[in-house]
Amino acid sequence: MSLLLQGTATDWVFSVRALLPVVLLALTGLVVFGINSLRPDGRDNKLLALTSIAGTLSALGVAIWYLLAGTGQPTHGGAISLFSGAIIVDGLGLFFTAIFTSVATLVIAASYDYFETDANPASFYSLLLLATTAMGLMAVSNSLATVFVSLEMASLPSYALVAYLKDNRGSVEAGLKYFLIGAVSSAVLAFGISLVYAATGSLLLPDIAAQIGSVGDLNGVLGVGIVMVAGGVAFKTASVPFHFWAPEAYEGAPAPVSAFLSSASKAAGFAVGFRVFATAFQPALDIGIDWGLLFGILAVVTMVLGNFAAATQTEVKRMLAYSSIGHAGYALIGLAAITAGASATNATVMGAAMAHLFVYGFMNTGAFLFIAMVERWGVGRTFEDYAGLAERAPMASLAMAVFMFSLAGLPLFGGFLSKYVLFLGAINAGFWWLAAVGAVTSALSLFYYSRVVKALWLEDATTDLDAIGDAPTGLYAAVIVAGVVTVLLLPGFGPVIETAEAAAAALFA
Amino acid sequence: MVSASAYVPAIVLLPFVSFIVALFGRDNLPKRGAYGGIAATAGSLALSLWVLVSVRNGAAFQETYYTWATGVGSQPWGLTFGALIDPLSALMLVIVSLVAMLVHIFSLGYMNDEDERDLPRYYAGLGLFTASMLGFVIADNLLMAFMFFELVGLCSYLLIGFHFREPGPPSAAKKAFLVTRFGDYFFLVGVVAVFTTFGTAAFAGTESFPALAEAALNGEATVWTPGGLEVSTWFTIVGLLILGGVIGKSAQFPLHTWLPDAMEGPTPVSALIHAATMVAAGVYLVARMYGFYVLSPTTMAIIAFVGGFTALFAATMGVVKRELKQVLAYSTISQYGYMMLALGSGGYVAAVFHLTTHAFFKALLFLGAGSVIIAMHHNEDMWDMGGLKDKMPVTYWTFLAGSLALAGIFPFAGFWSKDEILYEALIHGLDEPLILGAYVMGLLAVPVTAFYTFRMVFLTFHGEPRSSLARDPHPVRWNVKGPLSVLGVLAVVTGGINMVPVQKVLGIEGIDYLHLWLDNHWGGIEGLSSHHYAELNPYSSQYLFGGEVSTVLAGAAVSLGLALGGLALAWALYNVADPAEHTDKLGGLKALLYNNYYQDEFQVWVADNTRAVAGSADTFDQGVIDGVVNGVSSVSLLSSERIRRIQSGVVSNYALLLTLGLTTLLVVFGLIGGWF
Repeated sequence: MSLLLQGTATDWVFSVRALLPVVLLALTGLVVFGINSLRPDGRDNKLLALTSIAGTLSALGVAIWYLLAGTGQPTHGGAISLFSGAIIVDGLGLFFTAIFTSVATLVIAASYDYFETDANPASFYSLLLLATTAMGLMAVSNSLATVFVSLEMASLPSYALVAYLKDNRGSVEAGLKYFLIGAVSSAVLAFGISLVYAATGSLLLPDIAAQIGSVGDLNGVLGVGIVMVAGGVAFKTASVPFHFWAPEAYEGAPAPVSAFLSSASKAAGFAVGFRVFATAFQPALDIGIDWGLLFGILAVVTMVLGNFAAATQTEVKRMLAYSSIGHAGYALIGLAAITAGASATNATVMGAAMAHLFVYGFMNTGAFLFIAMVERWGVGRTFEDYAGLAERAPMASLAMAVFMFSLAGLPLFGGFLSKYVLFLGAINAGFWWLAAVGAVTSALSLFYYSRVVKALWLEDATTDLDAIGDAPTGLYAAVIVAGVVTVLLLPGFGPVIETAEAAAAALFA
Repeated sequence: MVSASAYVPAIVLLPFVSFIVALFGRDNLPKRGAYGGIAATAGSLALSLWVLVSVRNGAAFQETYYTWATGVGSQPWGLTFGALIDPLSALMLVIVSLVAMLVHIFSLGYMNDEDERDLPRYYAGLGLFTASMLGFVIADNLLMAFMFFELVGLCSYLLIGFHFREPGPPSAAKKAFLVTRFGDYFFLVGVVAVFTTFGTAAFAGTESFPALAEAALNGEATVWTPGGLEVSTWFTIVGLLILGGVIGKSAQFPLHTWLPDAMEGPTPVSALIHAATMVAAGVYLVARMYGFYVLSPTTMAIIAFVGGFTALFAATMGVVKRELKQVLAYSTISQYGYMMLALGSGGYVAAVFHLTTHAFFKALLFLGAGSVIIAMHHNEDMWDMGGLKDKMPVTYWTFLAGSLALAGIFPFAGFWSKDEILYEALIHGLDEPLILGAYVMGLLAVPVTAFYTFRMVFLTFHGEPRSSLARDPHPVRWNVKGPLSVLGVLAVVTGGINMVPVQKVLGIEGIDYLHLWLDNHWGGIEGLSSHHYAELNPYSSQYLFGGEVSTVLAGAAVSLGLALGGLALAWALYNVADPAEHTDKLGGLKALLYNNYYQDEFQVWVADNTRAVAGSADTFDQGVIDGVVNGVSSVSLLSSERIRRIQSGVVSNYALLLTLGLTTLLVVFGLIGGWF
């Protein structure tokens, strides 16, 4: 708080206004706490859910408004630097905030039904809101210190969220594993940050960039530090070799939490990765620290491992967990295809990766929420158990088919264009091999995605589906909205990619 | 005044709309879609006539409507849809839309009045067929032409197989589709070759491929050829590749075998296929890109020889057929042979002339046959007919007009066009043995044609009725007689559009309208005139008996005499009260002709004996291609299984692997970057 009080009153108001989406999220979290402490025994599930959604929607609205109004973008005076440069509000931050808040809104709507019988839903909503707040901070962090703090702020509620089903062994075990791997990764990240600081003497990203040219003999220290920071990013984005927590956590966690982690949390990791490597470490490419190649290798390994492992899964949720790892590989192309001095192609490919994460936010969240619905029905977890669901729930199954085909990149939905632009960007940047691996693994992914569609629509039910009587309003609404947006992102992809590329271009300017 | 050019796309779209309406309107439509089809084709006809008049007033044009793909690189090419409206396409538009409209009207009698089922499907097929052909006619580039050419093929498949519940039609439809597809395969390769060679497939303009080819032969332009091949050789190859599609569609030897089988389709469809659409498409294509073909003497000679041979070959098979429509089928093959002979021997105008007259008289004959078939309760055997002359006078007189035209008897339409073809082949062939051979075959086909035509007429309409069906035929209505009358008049008078022999003999100038028309006398598109083609063609004209007039007279006299001879023979043998089958007198020849020279058997034999090739291709496909694909998937699944096992569920393993992974990365990048 001391930083806040240093400035004049006007500056303080200005900071709040600039960070309004994050502030709104934090306030909503506090309001949820307040409601719960005023009525500790009242299970105000509906009130809590509506409050939370109001908070995420208003944050989303403000983020979109700022994006459209040009706040923090080159057309309107450039990025807004706050708190001595530790925080920066710009197009990239707002774009990612829009992703987090969209995903959070869908997840909260779904959770209203998923946790209908839960004893204390307030803790769930507040944890989710605080995690979203922290992600919003990650997206605007401009110093390695704020990066680390906000990343931990996002991770700690996430561990609790994964272990939220206290009576469920799988959930608790997954939470613990996530926490342990998270602890190791945090240690790696913190050590990496300290090495970077040792070499450059600064934590502020622009200052690091300015110092890199004069590190001299310390370039080895800096290199190790950068690789370790990359490790921290890889953990948050669930990229190989820091991905081990992901399949277990996504599978064990309540499905809405899986949706949140695999969409929003992953995007937050990329927000940090994009900003840190584009702003701070870009000059390191000139002094023999080829982190582009590092991310290239990680991207290839992640794409291959994620997609191959997904192919032989028997459970739909675990398949989606691995497919989510595969998609992290696609988005890593946005970092891997960055080369020194090529601002235009860098911005194009990073913007394409951002747009892919945007589309992915909807299609992947929708897919996990469909699983949440199936879990709520108590049908089962394997592909066989999904057989014939289309007869009972045609609209939701149609939406699921849309998600699957969009994730695979079939040219009818948003996922096609984002992958296409991403691979094209990689080719134009000279990284045809990344695009080739991406295309081949996408083709493989069609195999396991279509298994879900086949089970839903073509196979006859193996189990008794009479239990599916009710249609949970919130879950249904969330799934349908995600499906509609996934479809609409095909014609409406233009504004998304333009915004993303403009935001990325500002980083490389 | 609004120019007609703006409405050219509507000519194609109107029948297409009727196709859509019939497709989705199903049984709710008045007359099951017939009225929609008639209205659409009548609209197309009206617009086509307007276009014809405006071309007559000098408004020929070429316009690109839509570019659907553009190339990148040093030589950017565009794939476009456009219209080329010149005298040739304007004339063809009128022919196609007129015949299509009459066929639609006739179908009211042939299909609706006979209570056929699935009629919306039938009218949808007719609509799409007409639209495809009209689209093909206006096409301004080879690729667009190819696409509509394929659509025409598809529609013929759908319509020939209309009665798909019976065993014959689906099989005939498949045969038509596969045989023409075999030719189209070469056509497609030819289209690609044209694109690769010239970078464009446009028919007209200074940047069109015929113009570029001409320039390349004159050494004024350079084009790509494979492996430094001689330009003229390469043009011959490309021309022959495209000719593959023409031979398939226009049913020329040796790809003619589908056409007789295609008689399984409803008779109005046969009329459409034979007169104005499918079969005409092939010949029209050669005429459309004639500027390219005339550059290659070899291709020209092959076209002429194939045409002449087919004319004779098909005519001989028509002599022994028992079924009415079979005779007509072989006559179609034979007549298109004449058109190819004309094109190959430099008679561009003669070919278009015969295409026009044939469209009318062959549509007439098929519709007349349809009328007879209605009357005979769908019995097509001519030996069950006889004596229908008095029972159905309209059909008889119009059919007779069509037959006289087909046989080439003065002064019916067919006489003029056939005579001009033979005349062109003769004067150009005196120096060219191959053309002369083709001419001789064409000439020999004349009496055969007259013979089988009048054998058909006499057996059907003359003599005593030979069955109870023929004694009491089913009456036909206005919707049959109307189209017959229109076409009957046209079969008599169409010859008047091109009275070249009269002009030459009597010296009356200006009555060779078609010559003037195709020579851009009233305006047209530069480089697409018959005059231009005549300058390019490789032949010189020679005359017999010391002059043009005497050659004209001699040629006409010989062909007319031969035709009359054939007619007289048919008269003697079959115009009796109770004709006998004389085919037995042919002995072994009868079986040969009756079995179509064992062409089908030969093709089956070829197919059987190339089974080894197909087998090895299949082995390659199954073993190598599928093997690779299956191998990839099994390797993928195996490695998936391995990768899956890395996830052991033990968190300390994860921590170990994570640390090892990080360490490996550190070491590798440290070594690469020289950090240590």
